[in-house]
Amino acid sequence: MATTAMESKSQKIEEHLIVEKPFYLVQKNELTIGLAAYKHGIPLLLKGPTGSGKTRFMQFLAWKLGRPLITVSCHDDLSTSDLVGRYLIRGGDTFWMDGPMTLAVRHGAICYLDEVVEARKDTTVVIHPLADDRRELAIEKRGELLTASPEFMLAVSYNPGYQSVLKDLKQSTRQRFIALELNYPEASLEVEIVSHEAGVDENIARSLVRIAGMTRGLKDSGLPEGASTRLLIHSGLLIKEGIPPREACRATITEALTDDSELNAAIDEMVSAVF
Amino acid sequence: MAKHHFEDRLWHIMPPEHLNEWEREELIALIACFDRSLDDLILQQIAAIWPISTALCFSILEELEKTLQRIAPADVPEWVRRILQIFEAEGLRAARAFMEDADNIYFQRMRGQESLVFEEVAGRLLPYVRGLSSRNLQLEAGSSAATDTTTVFLPGEISVFADAKQNFLLYKLIATFQWVLIDKDLYCHKKADYPALCADVARHYSTTPASEEIYLTCFFNSFPHPEYAREVYCLLQAVRSASFLKEHLPGLMADLQGVFDYFASMECERQSSQPYDVVSGLRFWLLAVCLGSGKPEVSRETAEVIKAVESPQVTSLDVMKATFRLCTLHGGATPDSEFPAPFVFQGILQPAAAHRARLARREENRTQFVEALASLLLPAPEKSQGPPSEGEEGLSQQPLPDSGITLMQFEPDREEQSKESADEIRYIRLDDQDLDMPEDIQQLSRDITEDLGGIPSTYIDSARKMAGGGMAGRNGEAMEQSEEVSVGEKMYDEWDFRRQGFRKNWCYLIEKKITATKGSFVAATLEKYRGQIVQLKRQFEMMRTQHRFIKRQRDGDDVDIEALIEALGDARAGQAPSDRLFIRLLRDERDIATLFLVDMSSSTEGWVGNALKESLIILCEAMDSLGDRYAIYGFSGMRRTRNIIFHVKDFEETYTDEIRGRIAAIAPVDYTRMGAPIRHFTKILGQIDAKVRLLLILTDGKPEDYDDYKGEYAIEDTRHALIEAKSAGIHPFCITIDRQAQDYMAHMFGEINYAFINDVRKLPLRVPEIYRTLTS
Repeated sequence: MATTAMESKSQKIEEHLIVEKPFYLVQKNELTIGLAAYKHGIPLLLKGPTGSGKTRFMQFLAWKLGRPLITVSCHDDLSTSDLVGRYLIRGGDTFWMDGPMTLAVRHGAICYLDEVVEARKDTTVVIHPLADDRRELAIEKRGELLTASPEFMLAVSYNPGYQSVLKDLKQSTRQRFIALELNYPEASLEVEIVSHEAGVDENIARSLVRIAGMTRGLKDSGLPEGASTRLLIHSGLLIKEGIPPREACRATITEALTDDSELNAAIDEMVSAVF
Repeated sequence: MAKHHFEDRLWHIMPPEHLNEWEREELIALIACFDRSLDDLILQQIAAIWPISTALCFSILEELEKTLQRIAPADVPEWVRRILQIFEAEGLRAARAFMEDADNIYFQRMRGQESLVFEEVAGRLLPYVRGLSSRNLQLEAGSSAATDTTTVFLPGEISVFADAKQNFLLYKLIATFQWVLIDKDLYCHKKADYPALCADVARHYSTTPASEEIYLTCFFNSFPHPEYAREVYCLLQAVRSASFLKEHLPGLMADLQGVFDYFASMECERQSSQPYDVVSGLRFWLLAVCLGSGKPEVSRETAEVIKAVESPQVTSLDVMKATFRLCTLHGGATPDSEFPAPFVFQGILQPAAAHRARLARREENRTQFVEALASLLLPAPEKSQGPPSEGEEGLSQQPLPDSGITLMQFEPDREEQSKESADEIRYIRLDDQDLDMPEDIQQLSRDITEDLGGIPSTYIDSARKMAGGGMAGRNGEAMEQSEEVSVGEKMYDEWDFRRQGFRKNWCYLIEKKITATKGSFVAATLEKYRGQIVQLKRQFEMMRTQHRFIKRQRDGDDVDIEALIEALGDARAGQAPSDRLFIRLLRDERDIATLFLVDMSSSTEGWVGNALKESLIILCEAMDSLGDRYAIYGFSGMRRTRNIIFHVKDFEETYTDEIRGRIAAIAPVDYTRMGAPIRHFTKILGQIDAKVRLLLILTDGKPEDYDDYKGEYAIEDTRHALIEAKSAGIHPFCITIDRQAQDYMAHMFGEINYAFINDVRKLPLRVPEIYRTLTS
């Protein structure tokens, strides 16, 4: 039983190591703060709109630290067992399977809970003892208490734009973290990111960033979030494929942002004004 | 022969004895000039028109020849029908005007042209313009394109092209162009040394500098021919904007090639009959920029001046200087020279309207800034400042002690010491404490700084005053004016903790109606929270009925495979397996009745009261999408004999403008005597048939009345009333706004649930949230 468990574990953790340097352009002080948080064993909370580079930043940080990164995308069915681990049956025998959180704690990896507010509150409570100076993870079913090594780091992300009580972090959770806000990058930086990631020339990237800027000002007109950097990269990729820019933007930006026909038309007009 | 035949037929329709000599002759003469193939058509029309009006008949026959050049003979009956309609509605003059206006829509439609009207494009262009400008610009239909920097006016109708798509593109161009003009500071609202330039111009031409408040007008009036300077200035601004567009929105300019080609051909046609002057040169230059074609031939100096304004760094002051230079180069126009109408996208310059809009915006910015800043200075109601006074009677209001705020000043961001300091106000300094400014105030102060060059100290003083005095007066008198209609009287007991029993029939309760007020409050609230309201509606809609699978149940419709595997695994590993192995479909039908009870004691005056009303408006806007039944009442009291409940909305009423007006009319009255109203509404709610009955009380804290209803007695009575409500099967819930959680609250609300809000600004958003969590 123990050997099987060990095998599946040891197979896994290697895969999470980031070997190649991820492309990331530092916006402000996020790297300094991230490294400092790691040094002192304080978990990290990333806030920011969707597609603004939260996950990419974590990859970059993990690469910089040389630690494996285990990402868990949270959803409302995520149970404590999904994070910590469970007994499974194989050939009439049971064996213990570490969950991603346990895996990270055991191997001193970085555990990153993406969109943490999507998880139910009773699930997120398991991170509490890990997130303060105890740095412990209790595996109840095995009667095991793991203490995280100094290499382990916990990071969570969420998008405060949803502004919903149900999808809000409890004070007891959020006050354990060092919080970093990652907003959309500044225009010049965003141009660089888009042109690098999508492999398009700077002019196209600049036009895409210009369109994004226009959509981001429409909060009062009924568009809660504008086009993210990620959407721009998608458009860039389509344009690079040879799809005409207007069609590419329609597919990646206009239609992706809203179903409201008037807003759709207006965004189309923005696109056709720029391209 | 043919002629005789025709006349016979004519006299057959109109017996000749009904006509006098000259009428007969004129008719024959008019008809004679038409082609004989049209005889039938003309006779039919005459038969239709003549009985209505002889004069109209002659007019139509006179115009018919011209009309036949524009429309096919087959369309003539339709044309006549339209004229008759106009004649019958508006008379002969209007009918004649219609016939003479060859370019009217009617003919265009007849020719198969697709014109576009403003209403058709507004929905699409408004978010477009707002996206472009990142500002809340308005779009309105006007007689021609123009802007006053707050609103962009577009023509009510565009029918320049036969194709609706082209017409739309022209609309888009106009809207975009007007935005660029605003962005490029067409009306010279940014600070610069305009007076010096005006003086230079006046000196050059030896005119007396006009003493005008509006720099642009002052500048034009310094020229011997202001109209000429104005024309040149507008064209230079247009050239500048066009080259910006060429760079910034290449897609739009590429789409517009056809439109510009049209303007260019029109211009060439016009030009052939006119001498070539500076204005013409500029017009051609503008079109050349738009089309990206070769520049027209002008003198080298002129070309240099025009070329210079195409640079992105140019300011409006530079454009004014260029105007001056061009005028001096070419000596200006003669007084009687006429200028061609500006291109339709250029718009009409309206310095006076822009000035008015600027002043209005300045005033609005001032109000908003002062209010926002005041609310920043006053995070919670002042009421809870001191400990509750014992035994004293006058406890309605305590002014904010001066000690808190002495002086505040704006400081530039210290780390980035730069000349931008004026734009970069991020902190306010309050005593020795730095406060971060919320994004909205930052934006406001940027706007104000751009307009006035800094934040006037009077703004800050007003904010301080407002923070100190609450917002009294804004709606404080509303209650006095509103007619109070007594609709019933009831008596209620009151709990006396000292004797552990009730004072029988102690309180008189009077119900009054609130008269709706018409003011800007509702509109302002709807505008302020528009985004949140939309979001809330969506969230409420999602709560409406919930059908969802719940996992890990003891019994259910299906086996939860995941849970089963886990249980098996647990069992094999020697753990006690869970027995929650089923999935069940959960159907939650909402059956909720909620009564909102709003504290209208005088202590809610100012911020608290406003926030309360805002929360009610936001909540009610979203309630419809939820479908819950709800009622709203206010309460206030003055001694046991005068407990008043104010009727805002009962369960039967639907949420209308009238209700909105009543919410807006909610205003502070007397004291907080909570026991009797709670008992009353417990009774009311008890009669409502609903699965969940919620009594949501919004208050700013301590129950207190003028007489002995204070301190422990008041707290105990309130507490008891709430317990009574709970035991009657009602869920009471209190939302309390106070700067700090007082000890007594835990006791008073101890038996029931309550939420405590220490920042009054959050109230409008928190209340709907609380409601949502409570009921889901």
